Amino acid sequence: MNGNLNYIIRRILYLIPVLLGVCFLIFVLFNVVAPDPVHMMLGKHPSQDQIVELREQLGLNKSMLAQYFDIVKSAFTFDFGRSWATKQQISTMFKNGAIPSLTLTIPAFTIATFTSIFFAVIVAYFRGRGIDLFIRITCISMMSISSLVYILVFQNFLAYEWGLFEISGYEYGFPNFLYYVSLPILIWVVLSLGPDIRFYRTLILDEIYQDYVRTARAKGLTEKVILFKHVLRNAMIPIVTYTVVQLPFLLLGSLLLESFFSIPGLGDMTINALNASDFPVLKAMAVFSAVAYIIFTLVQDIIYTVVDPRVKLQ
Amino acid sequence: MFRTTLTVLLALSFVLTSCTKKRNFDEKVLTVNVSAKVKGLDPVNAGDSYSSNETARVYEGLLEYHYLKRPYELQPNLATSMPKVSDDGLTYTFNIKKGVKFHDNKCFPGGKGRELKAKDFVYSIMRMADLKNNSTGWWLLDGKIQGLNEWRDKYKGKTANYDDKISGLQALDDYTIQFKLTQKYPQFLYSLAMVYTFAVPREAVETYGEDFINNPVGTGPFMTGTYRQGNRIEYKRNPHYRTVYYPTEGAPGDKEKGLLKSAGKKLPIVDKVIVNILTESSTRFLSFENGDVDLSEIPKDNFDQVITPSKGLTAEFKHKGIELEITPDLDITYIAFNNEDPLFKNNAKLRQAMSLAYNNKVSNKLFYNDRGLIAQTIIPPGIGGHDETYKNPYQGYDLEKAKKLLAEAGYPGGKGIPEIYYETTSATGSRQMAEFFQKAMKDIGITIKVNTNTWPQLTQKTKKKQAQMFGMAWLGDYPDAENFLQLLYGPNASPGPNGSNYNDPDFNKKFEAAKIMQPGPKRAKIYAQLAQEVAEKTPIILGVHRTSYVLKHSWLRNYKFSTFKHGHAKYYDVDMKLKEKVLKSGKLKEEVKTETAKAE
Amino acid sequence: MLEQTVDNEMNTETNNQNNISLKNRSLWLDAWHRLRKDKVALVSLAVVIFYAIIALLAGLGLIAADWNEVVGPSYAHPSWDNPLGTDFLGRSVVRKVINGTQVAMSVGLISSLIAIPIGVSFGALAGYFGKWVDEIIVWFYTTFSSIPGIMLLMSIAFVIKKFQDSLSQVFGAEFDIGLFAVFIALGLTSWVGLCRLIRGEVLKHKNREYVQAAGAIGAGHGRKLVKHIIPNVTHIVIINTSLQFQIAIKSEVILSYLGLGVSGQPSWGTMINDAKEELARGVYWQLLGATIAMFIVVLAFNILGDALRDALDPKLKGKS
Repeated sequence: MNGNLNYIIRRILYLIPVLLGVCFLIFVLFNVVAPDPVHMMLGKHPSQDQIVELREQLGLNKSMLAQYFDIVKSAFTFDFGRSWATKQQISTMFKNGAIPSLTLTIPAFTIATFTSIFFAVIVAYFRGRGIDLFIRITCISMMSISSLVYILVFQNFLAYEWGLFEISGYEYGFPNFLYYVSLPILIWVVLSLGPDIRFYRTLILDEIYQDYVRTARAKGLTEKVILFKHVLRNAMIPIVTYTVVQLPFLLLGSLLLESFFSIPGLGDMTINALNASDFPVLKAMAVFSAVAYIIFTLVQDIIYTVVDPRVKLQ
Repeated sequence: MFRTTLTVLLALSFVLTSCTKKRNFDEKVLTVNVSAKVKGLDPVNAGDSYSSNETARVYEGLLEYHYLKRPYELQPNLATSMPKVSDDGLTYTFNIKKGVKFHDNKCFPGGKGRELKAKDFVYSIMRMADLKNNSTGWWLLDGKIQGLNEWRDKYKGKTANYDDKISGLQALDDYTIQFKLTQKYPQFLYSLAMVYTFAVPREAVETYGEDFINNPVGTGPFMTGTYRQGNRIEYKRNPHYRTVYYPTEGAPGDKEKGLLKSAGKKLPIVDKVIVNILTESSTRFLSFENGDVDLSEIPKDNFDQVITPSKGLTAEFKHKGIELEITPDLDITYIAFNNEDPLFKNNAKLRQAMSLAYNNKVSNKLFYNDRGLIAQTIIPPGIGGHDETYKNPYQGYDLEKAKKLLAEAGYPGGKGIPEIYYETTSATGSRQMAEFFQKAMKDIGITIKVNTNTWPQLTQKTKKKQAQMFGMAWLGDYPDAENFLQLLYGPNASPGPNGSNYNDPDFNKKFEAAKIMQPGPKRAKIYAQLAQEVAEKTPIILGVHRTSYVLKHSWLRNYKFSTFKHGHAKYYDVDMKLKEKVLKSGKLKEEVKTETAKAE
Repeated sequence: MLEQTVDNEMNTETNNQNNISLKNRSLWLDAWHRLRKDKVALVSLAVVIFYAIIALLAGLGLIAADWNEVVGPSYAHPSWDNPLGTDFLGRSVVRKVINGTQVAMSVGLISSLIAIPIGVSFGALAGYFGKWVDEIIVWFYTTFSSIPGIMLLMSIAFVIKKFQDSLSQVFGAEFDIGLFAVFIALGLTSWVGLCRLIRGEVLKHKNREYVQAAGAIGAGHGRKLVKHIIPNVTHIVIINTSLQFQIAIKSEVILSYLGLGVSGQPSWGTMINDAKEELARGVYWQLLGATIAMFIVVLAFNILGDALRDALDPKLKGKS
């Protein structure tokens, strides 16, 4: 266990160079090579004075090193300053955007995961038979259509033509938000089924070919018992760790779905920031998501050590 | 495992089959859609029409446009009457209304809104001048008010002192404000009806600091309730709004249209305004068809479904009780040449040839559903300086003439012309327009390279004079031809509004002389002449003056289109009983076979 | 997804020092035999080749070069003359779809050509030399992979457009910055997965007997790496490329939606995006044409990728 603790501490310390690297990448992208945002912000008739003044205010006249340190500072303090476009505190924007994003992504992710596992188990049970082939073909076909096509077609038919859902928009508060997020959730689930079923199926099959399954079969246990008692329990380890790494992305919302359905979450915020050259928001999103990603991969590693005694971290 | 999954699936199907939400008909609510995110509600930065519409629900200025009268006419709003103007035309003195209160807000002592004073206008206009605020409206007053530019320059890079006296901008007493101009400028009054100059209280600016933009405190008919920039803004009626009545007279025909039914009624009429921000035009239109919002423009791709070839409503929409209002807008679309580019500079024949090769009739059909008026000069109809009889010799599709001019310019068959870059945005509509332009130029042998940009990249390119050609639309800021002619005025070149960087000393001189003239037929004639002269030099390829087609539901009353529609929500009325009846009858969902199917 | 399934112990076949080439050949031969038995995979391969030919012909201007011609009225319904109808200018949608193949295939190809050298060389160096080289490269790709793919993708595409002017000076006026941005952005975001896989493989191979034997007979690091190890990990590159193609083709649509896509020539992404507004007036044919064209080739790449994995990665035989 001591070795594990050591490992965890080393992993945590490793966050620092990675975070510095992420900041450097963001710095290169937005502070060194990105287009000058000043003209965009000054409206129809800017004067030369205004351009100079705005560059000063935005900190574009600072030295490169100082600009880099600003990003590093924001990564460690989570103080991202204000948006250029709306002048709001970015932390406030994050708080406002997190709720719509999570009301979309948490149910969508939960439903998608459970449905996928459900189908994956069926497919694994009937592996090699007609139903397995059918579901696999369906999955691979579903994956071969652009996500934008799903969005366009579902919105056009389910919401517009048949009126089953709200077309777009969002309302805060339960249960009102449900009306607005249910179609995006449905699309999310449909989009995830293909890749997820295939992935979970592989995980489960990985277990089925293990020696202990052969032993169990030799003991005369039925296929059903083996699948549910042994295989699934063991397959849960990779499944859980896989889901954990996905969690930070839930917080980020879904860029396409949110922007298409006008759900004011973090994904929508990011696309707006892109369209408005709102660099502080873009940088904040990138830093924030990188930090979340790094932390959750760490959590994943830790879970691995805790739930799976076979794994020894070093 | 199976059982839990099943339960989840069942719950899912339950959630998903639950249909759309219920409505509430108890309050008088005006519901509208806007197509872009609102940047915030600070008058000095209300540059785009979306922000200025929203800002004007909360704030007010000295002047406003008469709601019904056309041509557009200024009338006092917070001023008691139109100003006294000195004989030399330089000094404007306003009296302001007494007893006007700001909204109750925690920035005032005791949270009670205080009375509006003349000094609030002085303060608000100084905020526009303060470099720190980067007001997008500074061009309006730049160099026009005595002492204001000096004050602005004095505090360059420093914190401005708002207690300084400015000779041209003074509160003579609590209710009198005096402006002194540096030179004659009759358009000055229009700037006082624009949102940039609306009154803000100093307490609010100082209390909220950078967050002032998200915490509006004005004197207007509405105050913000729920405020979510990217999604939805709700306004509620200002309970202490001063007594203002619906106008009792209007333009000819208004009475017949029922626009005077509310004459003399206290404003605002509705209790609440809900603004939904929906960026996709199709979803905006769908929400109108469902009755979620009270009025809507018609997206290009839904046009044939709504409007018959004879410019009326289709039977389907008539059946639903929807009404159509057609009004010419004050605007111009054009494709700009960068006149500083060596290819186009002093090369009128090339520019004219390209203009003649561009088929505005077809583009009008493709992109504006034939609802634009093909522009002969830069001045739109409805304002002095527009001459209906004039026909621009370089406007209108004429390939033969275009080829001839091209040869005369030294490029027979387009030979010798390098590839020309056309900059556009990636929005579907703009991209399609670019493709159309590309095709048109191919017919006279000119190769156009289309570059799609994000909007910031495009503005940057035009402001830095890096765009060789690009499409533009200009929406009038005020009803005066000066606002359109200045688009070609040399000193306004990029980063100013003259994105074509056209600079003709002769035109510049005549323009300077014309703009300080008093409004009237004499000036209109000079404007018209000027516009025609410059149109024939073809510094830009003129497009169309667009016509606005607005659809409204039967329950929305008192709606009249205006190019300067900010602040108009207070006049609208919503008949909630009728709305409830129509929505519950399911009439909006009924299918009616229309002639559109056959027309295709 | 590929990552998790391929990032396993590869094969446990013999590492007999004498038959490196034999073993290598047998792996490929074996793979080809297995692939040949898989009819569906063969059809997929044929589809991919067919698309590549179409793209090539379109690129050379031999077919659908006249996509910009007006062939009928604006938004004409599908008919015998125009099987997929026309677009807003009255241009044939079929021709646009064919011409769009060019963009799709080149996006897949060029982004792979960018990703493969970076991924393979970094991965091989890290795996082979270990120690600080490994530390730095692992740090470098961890940095890259810490920013969500789509954020990085759109940021790079957004930023690259700034270089339009300087790039057109270098490459001439024909240069399409939109397409270039898509290439670079996809290339720069997709090397990480490959790099990680290659590193893992090389790590395993470097201590194998055949490599040590090569060292014993005097092969230097470079020779060992290039001549002996890399040929043994190329199957990963092949599987990865097949996957990369379909990701690239799908990403082009997303980038077009974000306004960061191709300009000046038809692409499936812009056609699908146009449908956003066209569906309202019942114009479905651009969407349909582009979606079907894309569906077939992406499906083919998906099946081919799976089949290649089965064929080249015996451990997973019969599972996917």
